[in-house]
Amino acid sequence: MESLLQAWYVFRVTFSQYPDVQYVLMLIPFVLFFELPLYFVNWMGVFRFVIKDAVEAPLTLPYYPRVTCAITCYAEGKAVQNTVISLMEQIYPGHIEIIAMVDGVQKNIATYRALKELYSVIPRYSKRSLIIIPKIQRGGRVSSLNAGLSRAQGEIFLALDGDTSFDNQMIHSAVLHFQNPNVVAVTGPMRVRNARKSLITRMQDLEYMLTMQIGKLGFAKLNVINNVPGAFGIFRRAFLQKIGGWNTGTAEDLDLTLRIKKYHARYPQLQIGFEPLAVSHTDVPETFKDFFKQRLRWDGDLWYIYSNKHRSGISVANMGWANFIFLLWYGILFQIIMPFAIVIYTIYMAVVLPLHIFILSMTLVYVFYVCLVLIQFLAYLMIISDRKWRDCAAFLILPLYPFFQFIARVWSAFAIANQIFNKGHLDSAMAPLWVLKKGKQ
Amino acid sequence: MLIFFSQETSHLLEQYKISFNVQQLSDFSEWEKDRIVPSAFVIEGSNQQYVASILGKIRRDSEVFASLCFSTALLTSPDSSLLDGLLPSALELQKQIDATQDLLRSLKGKDAYLTHQGRLINYLWLRPNYVLQPYHEWKNSRFYRYPLLEAMSLDQSDSFEWLRNLANSKILETISLMDRQRECMYCRSSHLSFIDTCPNCSAIDIKLQPSLHCFTCGCVDAQDKFMHSGILVCPKCHTHLRHIGSDYDRPLENYSCQACHHSFIEGDVQVRCAICEKEMDPNELILNEIHSWRLSDKGRTIAFRGEVFDLSSGFNQLDFISRELFIHDLDWLMVMARRYPNINFSLFGIYFANLPDLVELFNHSRLLQMLESFAQRLRNLLRTPDLSTRTSENMLWLLLPNTDEQGLFGFQKRIEKSMDKLLEESDYKLDCRFVSVNSQKLSNKENAELLLARLFGELL
Repeated sequence: MESLLQAWYVFRVTFSQYPDVQYVLMLIPFVLFFELPLYFVNWMGVFRFVIKDAVEAPLTLPYYPRVTCAITCYAEGKAVQNTVISLMEQIYPGHIEIIAMVDGVQKNIATYRALKELYSVIPRYSKRSLIIIPKIQRGGRVSSLNAGLSRAQGEIFLALDGDTSFDNQMIHSAVLHFQNPNVVAVTGPMRVRNARKSLITRMQDLEYMLTMQIGKLGFAKLNVINNVPGAFGIFRRAFLQKIGGWNTGTAEDLDLTLRIKKYHARYPQLQIGFEPLAVSHTDVPETFKDFFKQRLRWDGDLWYIYSNKHRSGISVANMGWANFIFLLWYGILFQIIMPFAIVIYTIYMAVVLPLHIFILSMTLVYVFYVCLVLIQFLAYLMIISDRKWRDCAAFLILPLYPFFQFIARVWSAFAIANQIFNKGHLDSAMAPLWVLKKGKQ
Repeated sequence: MLIFFSQETSHLLEQYKISFNVQQLSDFSEWEKDRIVPSAFVIEGSNQQYVASILGKIRRDSEVFASLCFSTALLTSPDSSLLDGLLPSALELQKQIDATQDLLRSLKGKDAYLTHQGRLINYLWLRPNYVLQPYHEWKNSRFYRYPLLEAMSLDQSDSFEWLRNLANSKILETISLMDRQRECMYCRSSHLSFIDTCPNCSAIDIKLQPSLHCFTCGCVDAQDKFMHSGILVCPKCHTHLRHIGSDYDRPLENYSCQACHHSFIEGDVQVRCAICEKEMDPNELILNEIHSWRLSDKGRTIAFRGEVFDLSSGFNQLDFISRELFIHDLDWLMVMARRYPNINFSLFGIYFANLPDLVELFNHSRLLQMLESFAQRLRNLLRTPDLSTRTSENMLWLLLPNTDEQGLFGFQKRIEKSMDKLLEESDYKLDCRFVSVNSQKLSNKENAELLLARLFGELL
């Protein structure tokens, strides 16, 4: 805090010598209007969780419905075995039916073989079954998921990725939410399995802790969860089948979440839950190149979903006020407009302000973000983290995190622009190489 | 003439009475009073048990066992293989009877067919397309039985044992493999049960017991000890185990014996025979291949020549042991000789190169006589511990323990001398070749099977 005050002091002193204060002051309301309230709302949600968790001792009746885990597999190879084994290892007295869909099986014969090897392991576990669906024609994630849904017999349906594994109380704790008949979907924290691989994976590890874990927990308590991720979504099968499963196109997970939200005005009691104990572990891109490639798709898809697919669906009449405001705020302002605002604003300041003032104001912004991240992270460590000691390692890279955020935002702006002008969702595989080379290697 | 067995007066054979003389009887004992041999028997088929009982008696009779037998209805029991089928039309019946009579006329040496083997050859000779089919019957201790063999041997010998002898003497040949089954090494029953036991104390009370290995402190224990109110907690270091592969794993011990608490991955499998109640190891079980069979060329030759030129009979006095046993013993001696230099043995092979041709050309009995006298001489040359076997009709092997190279040389000289004497006395040009080897000249890599093959190759 001291450094923040010092910076602020120097900032004021420098400022007083210049007349065009109004330009710089724009910085403060900009941040305040856009980001702080969002964080505040989120913290309120987390606070509510903490209070509830401390005060309430919920009655847990035995509830062990049959569960179907649909795993979309592609080129995971042997790694897919971890996923299946972590599901068989679940401490859950009910039946777990695992359906693995191998997309484009002729190309991914290694994955198919790895799955078939598991047939011999299945009998060692009681109440676990494995079905492998080899899909000869590659149809993408949506076709795999819908194929799995058509074969599913469980009351609860888990849509999972072939490279994601799970803690052994995941199903048990997630399924408890469905005792409430209004809950239609649940998600849980996603942790980064390969955090120690490189700097970029450590950054993403911290990002997942802050956004996927503390962020989602806060929003879930307000019932405005932004997205049930495709790698880890838990649904009530009957509901999922009623709304027709997944729709064609990229970002099918966001699409599905928005479609569920569209029922909120008619069925205000519908809930999308978040279970902090249902922990999943996934691998994130290990190089900057792969990271940018992934984000180009993700952030581009945001625009595609909001502007193309759900343009007319985002309304109070459909979603109800809470979700509408949240979507406008988080989805549109925070995720789509902010990246552009930041890019434009930074360029504007760099051009208009003298260099040292520009550097100073950037420092201030940096300090502001470091504090914000620090508060978030401390809250995470104290409230949610189930592996506190391991997560403490993230303190080391915390000072670098605002830079990572900045780069990610700039890239996000690029991705959205690419989507708008280039229809990037149509070739969701990758961007031109020269663009990727611009990034830090 | 037809003999019609029926319990009640029946007019089923009315139309046959035009071309055949039909006599109706109600029981086999009735027929036994007169013992008139008919061209064919016909059995009224409405009562299966009745058909089976009459049929069994016919096939076990010393005179009419090979007669044509028809039934007016199809039999579902395995005994149907003893039947020549449904009663055909009168015309067809006449044809079949004629064909059988023809075959019967060409059958020679009918006196020889009093033995079981003779009866079988007779029976199969009269039915050129007959397939000796195994029948599956769960009540049978061996699961499979050959009803015809049972009837022809008058239920005296074990069908499988007899079948092996028939196959060894090449009277029958296989058509196709029907099944492969494991049998009890004591009683040859295939009613077996398999049970997992503890490899330490052989108790059968074993239980699949998943155990876990905590990565934090290395504690390995039964999974039950880790379970605490729905989560896994290490009983030693109290770490919360969340994720397989990163917090804990499953070590391989999977079974635990309730009697001696031994942990193991795979139990020993014990086999228990349901018939003799003895226990054995799965790899001690005897593999039995179940085939369908037919009369071989040699069998047919025997049938129409009326005599069996069985080369082995010429050497009967040599007391052959089986080829498998011979190879086993030879192997053992080879291993011994390798290990202990003072062990010395020799192998001697006698090959009658043109014997099969001579069999075709000359009178068998005289050839047989000559071989018998050769065997007599050979027998005098052999000592009590010497072993002999035959790997084919004209290839004899002698295993001479404690015989060095000099001894072997002397042995060969004596054999050659007796052979020359034999050839002088007879007008046959018997091409007789010898091969021999002493244990000191054996290569270390060879086993008995290879050695025999190599020496046989030298003879050709």
